[in-house]
Amino acid sequence: MATANMKDVKRRIKSVESTRQITKAMELVASSKLRRAKERALAAQPFFAAVYDTMADVSRDHVFSSIYTKKEMLKTTLLIVIAGDRGLAGGFNHNVLKLALEKANEHRAEGYTVKIITIGKKAVEYFKKRDFEVLDEYPGIAENLDVYDSLDIAENVITRFRLGEFDKVEIVYTTFVSALTQEPVHMPVLPVKQMISGSGEKKSLMIYDPSPEEVFDGLIPQYMSGILYAAIVDSFASEQAARRTAMESASDNADEMIESLSLMYNRARQSQITQELTEIASGSLRDE
Amino acid sequence: MKPFKLKIITPEKTFFEGETEQLIAKTPAGNVGFLAGHTPYAANLVASPLKVRQADGSFRVAAVSAGMIKVRNSECVVVASAVEWSDEIDVERAKRSKEDAEKRLKEQNSQKEFERAEQKLKRALNRLTVSGGKY
Repeated sequence: MATANMKDVKRRIKSVESTRQITKAMELVASSKLRRAKERALAAQPFFAAVYDTMADVSRDHVFSSIYTKKEMLKTTLLIVIAGDRGLAGGFNHNVLKLALEKANEHRAEGYTVKIITIGKKAVEYFKKRDFEVLDEYPGIAENLDVYDSLDIAENVITRFRLGEFDKVEIVYTTFVSALTQEPVHMPVLPVKQMISGSGEKKSLMIYDPSPEEVFDGLIPQYMSGILYAAIVDSFASEQAARRTAMESASDNADEMIESLSLMYNRARQSQITQELTEIASGSLRDE
Repeated sequence: MKPFKLKIITPEKTFFEGETEQLIAKTPAGNVGFLAGHTPYAANLVASPLKVRQADGSFRVAAVSAGMIKVRNSECVVVASAVEWSDEIDVERAKRSKEDAEKRLKEQNSQKEFERAEQKLKRALNRLTVSGGKY
């Protein structure tokens, strides 16, 4: 019996070791991807700041009206849900999708119609199974996101917004707080609420060509794609960080298992040797 | 000529930060030139060649996609979704996206998709003109 047990334990050690190799490799890959994603997220900030500043300037200085600032009438909300393309990232996908579903149900309870655009394979799969109107799906773009991808989505959203398919746009994604914490967040994007039409007293000498309204409206695609770009990159960084933490603890657990299994194996081996020795000793005693 | 500060920003990075003596950009109303001491100004940019004057008097040209330009405190900021110097444009990629856009235009989809394809074609054509040196 002892030998059979030993074989079992040995096999389990091997299997845990090979799992550990995989989790360790995934951990390393995730941490190198995380580094790059963090750099990208940081590099995106000046762009958005410049766009936002100009829009804020316009709205402070002028009396103007834009369809991007008007109050909602239709009671239709678009939720843009950003999740990961792959699993094995701890609670990353689950947390953000849960928040998205919560928000969607909240809006429904308030009598809004909810439409959805999903970004990332996990979000696509999740909302396909649920009863929401999904307008568009963008799986697998986060890792090699370029500006045109985000501009494409932004233009898609803006055209639909102008056509009156919805009058409120919100994004649900995961923001990178630190390597250990990532938080799912919910952010309203359109209409641009904080920018209420100013008093009309012209405070700066800025000339807007051809008019403040045109400059403001013309900036909306940049604003939208800037937000989307930043959110997707942010979410990707969070995904990598979550995966790194999850894989790190998986590797640690594997180490622990290997340790306790080795102990078990050594005990079994030792007791087998002891038993054999007693058998030999008792056998030779009988012979005498 | 007196130089002034110029910054070109894209979502991916700060593309250019330095000084120039003259800048020519295209707004929906047409080409606008900027020299040092320009009055505070803000306008949208269309996909077009952006010309930056260099110390030797020649212009370095970049393809910019839609964005905006802002002058304030004699500092000029160009913000665009994508900017590429003429010698750094991936011509093959631009050609591919031009063909793709043309194909989509022919498919006669909804108005919306038509407009998106048109935008894409404009961007691709702009990159091709700039890289070909015909501006």
